[in-house]
Amino acid sequence: MSADMSSGIKRRDFLKVVGVGGAGAALTGCSTESAEKLLPYVVPPEDITPGVATWYTSTCGDCTAGCGIWVRTREGRAVKVEGNPNHPVSEGALCQRGHASLQHLYSPDRFTGPMQRVNGELQPISWDEAEVLLAQQIQGAAGNVLFIGGSMGPTMADLVDQFLASVGGSRVEWDGLAEAPLREATRIAFGSDVVPHYDFESADFIVSFGADFIETWISPVAYQRGFARATGVDAEGNKGEFVYVGPRLNLTGQNADEWVPIPAGGEAAIALGMASVIAGRNGNAGPYAQILQAYSPEAAAEATGLEAATIRELADRFQNSPSLAVGPGVAGQHRNATAANLAIHILNSVAGNVGTRVRLVENAQSAASRPYGEVEAAIRSMASGGVGVVMVHGTNPAHGLPPAAGFDEAFAGVPFKVSFASEPDETAAMADLILPDRHFLEAWGDASPRPGVYSLQQPAMEAVPHFDSKQTGDVLLSVAARAGSPVGPATTYDHLRNRWQALHQSVGAAEDFDAWWRGALKEGVVNVPVPATEEPAALRQPDAALIFDQPAFDGDGEFVLMVYPSSRFGDGRHANSAWMQELPDPVSKIAWHGWVEIHPAAAERLGVEKGDVVSVTSPHGSVDLPVFTYPGIRDDTVAIQMGMGRENSGRYANGNGVNAMTLLPAEAEQPSGGLVHLATRVSVVPTGDVYRLATIEGSDDQSKRGIAPAAYIGSLGQSEEEGYAEEGGYEKKPLEEMQMLGGFGAVQVDGKAKDWPLPGTDRGDYADPETPRWAMAIDLDKCTGCSACIVACQSENNVAFVGEDQLRMGRDLAWIRLERYYETVDASHAGTLDVRHLPMLCQHCNNAPCEPVCPVVAAYHTPDGLNGQVYNRCVGTRYCANNCPYKVRVYNWYSYADVPEPLNWQYNPDVTIRNTGIMEKCSFCVQRIREVQNKAVVEGRAIADGEVVPACQQSCPAEAIVFGNIRDTSSRVAELVENERTYRVLDKLINTQPAVHYLKKVTFHEAEDGTH
Amino acid sequence: MGATRKIGVAAAMVTVLAGGGLAFAQAGQEADAEAQMPTPAASSTGTNYGNDAGIQPIAFPHAIHARDNQIDCAYCHFSAERSVSAGIPPVSTCIGCHGPGKVQVQSEQGQEQVAMVLEYWNNEETIPWVRIHKVADHVKFPHMRHINAGLDCTQCHGPVQEMGVLQQPDDAWGDGKMGWCISCHVENDASRDCTVCHY
Repeated sequence: MSADMSSGIKRRDFLKVVGVGGAGAALTGCSTESAEKLLPYVVPPEDITPGVATWYTSTCGDCTAGCGIWVRTREGRAVKVEGNPNHPVSEGALCQRGHASLQHLYSPDRFTGPMQRVNGELQPISWDEAEVLLAQQIQGAAGNVLFIGGSMGPTMADLVDQFLASVGGSRVEWDGLAEAPLREATRIAFGSDVVPHYDFESADFIVSFGADFIETWISPVAYQRGFARATGVDAEGNKGEFVYVGPRLNLTGQNADEWVPIPAGGEAAIALGMASVIAGRNGNAGPYAQILQAYSPEAAAEATGLEAATIRELADRFQNSPSLAVGPGVAGQHRNATAANLAIHILNSVAGNVGTRVRLVENAQSAASRPYGEVEAAIRSMASGGVGVVMVHGTNPAHGLPPAAGFDEAFAGVPFKVSFASEPDETAAMADLILPDRHFLEAWGDASPRPGVYSLQQPAMEAVPHFDSKQTGDVLLSVAARAGSPVGPATTYDHLRNRWQALHQSVGAAEDFDAWWRGALKEGVVNVPVPATEEPAALRQPDAALIFDQPAFDGDGEFVLMVYPSSRFGDGRHANSAWMQELPDPVSKIAWHGWVEIHPAAAERLGVEKGDVVSVTSPHGSVDLPVFTYPGIRDDTVAIQMGMGRENSGRYANGNGVNAMTLLPAEAEQPSGGLVHLATRVSVVPTGDVYRLATIEGSDDQSKRGIAPAAYIGSLGQSEEEGYAEEGGYEKKPLEEMQMLGGFGAVQVDGKAKDWPLPGTDRGDYADPETPRWAMAIDLDKCTGCSACIVACQSENNVAFVGEDQLRMGRDLAWIRLERYYETVDASHAGTLDVRHLPMLCQHCNNAPCEPVCPVVAAYHTPDGLNGQVYNRCVGTRYCANNCPYKVRVYNWYSYADVPEPLNWQYNPDVTIRNTGIMEKCSFCVQRIREVQNKAVVEGRAIADGEVVPACQQSCPAEAIVFGNIRDTSSRVAELVENERTYRVLDKLINTQPAVHYLKKVTFHEAEDGTH
Repeated sequence: MGATRKIGVAAAMVTVLAGGGLAFAQAGQEADAEAQMPTPAASSTGTNYGNDAGIQPIAFPHAIHARDNQIDCAYCHFSAERSVSAGIPPVSTCIGCHGPGKVQVQSEQGQEQVAMVLEYWNNEETIPWVRIHKVADHVKFPHMRHINAGLDCTQCHGPVQEMGVLQQPDDAWGDGKMGWCISCHVENDASRDCTVCHY
């Protein structure tokens, strides 16, 4: 390592030569060169210690799941969002969209203040003027006020309703991801007008008929956690099974052990066929006994093209273990969606799952009952001139509704239109008055996401000063007072406290309200115990006419079109975030732009390949998109993601992809009133154009390298060698071959991660057997590929985004890359796809190929075993990245971190921001290690196992990642690396001796490639 | 000088925030005002209020506070023992002693300066102190670790208790070279690992 370079230039000299050239704005190490100002507080806030993070509890407002969060603030700025470990919904985890809420808080596109449209142009206006204007308009509207809202917390909903009762008006709710058919089916089946809550954790056999519960469905963080606990193999070798039934594998489906690829809309037949087998044995079908006789497995087989034996076998497995069926979700909302949901309720009911794993307790907050049905009526009312003032809050119908709904025309015709949007959107683009709401991290509110859970939302920081925003609740209260119809106390905060006073009384807390309230703010949540099981609700006689058969599809195109919710953008509300845009879609691995998923066989029929642009045409519209060939979709179906094609959003969302809703009819499913998504057939015609995909997918084939091998469940416990299982593939070790040829031969002995320093090597000061050796274990049997870790890492480590063009050139900077590989399964009744996910990050190798090639020792090994990257030494030769077999080193070709104000407010002050010419990569969150070490030393104690938690582990909903000191034999990571499933990627090939250990995915089939 | 590089484009704001108890709302704009700092007058040690070079908005004689009145550094730099940042005293700390009816400053010169502090306080304004001690953006200096190790503040900051106007002593801080940090780490058998300070 310390040898002179061959030319005779010592490393130091080389550094000087390169350094002088590249250091235009050099700062010396420890001096003052510029008159930087130190601005003290006049009076210090009680809860801020400079240099020490202050955390606030709150509730994520980005979807209806209501995950409890902790917001990390530094010197008054929110810098990171994490799950609240004491919150029953999130249990400490958070999804990618929750992390990216910071991007909306600090979005440079937010409205700078209230605006009025004058002659077509938005002009700034004061809050006073705006409120007076709105009050006048409301008085003039004589009760014809319409409020179109998104999903909101109980206090906000109550406040809006009080406001409308006072000034005269009505409220409709539009949430593009609302589960209206599920709610209606629950009402029909059990008489409970709720969206059920599901317990995945206690199930051993899970069937999803299309629900994407890992991505967006109802409560994805909680459900993913329960799912991973149920289906991750445990110490005894028990593992829950997951069968996915549907025409397209979403990310949830990619985690299934079996895929039953039925035609679109066939799930009711399968569910009833299974139920009829079970009910035939136990007679639990109640009023549905006759229907079930009609839907025998044979009938279901005929309707879906499956074998009756397959359905019987699924029914057996469903009946014989604690089971759960869910679905079909928003993507499966076809014209008979309520019937499909009811069929799945019947299946759960006959198998005895209702009351245990399907919970129907009434809840303060639920999905809208008839979202599209009511919006349709509201549009008619607007179109007929029956609305004087329309107000839109927390929703964007101009983008989320199919154009055929006629929203734009009807909305444009209303005399006075108000938008409470914080960031620009398509609806606000038509509004006469814009009254920007606070972001949820700046505002008060609450949520009741599940029975017995009362969650508080408190401001984590003062409102971002660049934007003159005001909480909509406060605006409504002020406007009501100005219009002469005041509604109770003057602020949302007072309304919130008043409502919680009632809760305080009902829970019978011992403390007085103020003490209890402070406790609730500190915890973020009040839990009211609900019984672990409830009396199973009996199936009721249906009170609506339902058709369980295959739904009708518009048009005569070759393919059925699926329009599915995006795991990055939801229905589009999260689109204006560079983090979400740059996050590769977990299924396609494409970032920034749109695509259409087509089965490779269908693509071959059409004569198109990946990247060829096709016209997708339905009877309702037509879009042009590049093809992504995907073996996880039936060859009679194509799929397009929701949430793209924004036109009047911000700079990061506009112009990316197409709005899939333009292909859909504007039709309410009956009887639920939900908007149909799976409703039309499309034709696909090549345009002849080619679009180079912006993708991080190198290959979907492991090429027998054993990167993400799997273990057959039957082989567990039979391995002869304990720990560090062999991965298959090559017969000879290439390293040995290279060494025989006199090539790379730094270290010739095999070693475990804890063996640092390597036997027989001399690393001087940089090899201390007394220090910890930080290491990581990732359980691939739990990892779902959801990608929350990537965004958590980006947020924690100031990882910049690069944009579509740079990403296409392979210059993306993400420190974690979620690799996705396809394997094949030999399965008679099911799809043949076995998808493997593997989070690839710096492996912190003991024998790291990047280290010896760095001419300036910027890449080096720390005494505590990290593969360090010293930014201020780095001169950007990129030798390290070239020599890294894992391709986890990323290079700053430009100053990507130079983002528009106030996006830079998000940067973590504990991590250096990198600029042009610097190599960077995963640091194992070294700043968190140092923080814990500093704290432990000052407090005079040792670091406990589990005290250092990197951002990826902290965020992981599946609890797949464990980090710790591998030299501490009692640590969890030391225990995990001795597991028989443990392997290290490429280690057996090239002896890199990584500190990141993977635990193989466990399959129920013997893998064809012998990689187990 | 050429051997180290500026890391961090938006780092100006970040370092200001990491550096002390600061009003974040104004930090962004103020930190942009980069200007060459004038050299402090050589005579400005001892008890005088020499602020001839006009560096600071108020002449704050560390000598009078730290030496004559024996005020502990941590009384004003309140977070040094528990945080990476030592903390810049808020204006309310000044007022704690110099508020109406409290400690009376004898000299006319001193009374002038205290009147300026009161003006800031009455206007609810922050005092725009000019930063004298600063490590580069890519260096982490956890104050609490060094104080916990028994170091005296003056070992890095020089004889602050002798200074009228705070300045950066030449011999301390090793002329801005990392070797000065390292030599102390070597002498005290502290870690010499890069990622102890650089990450």
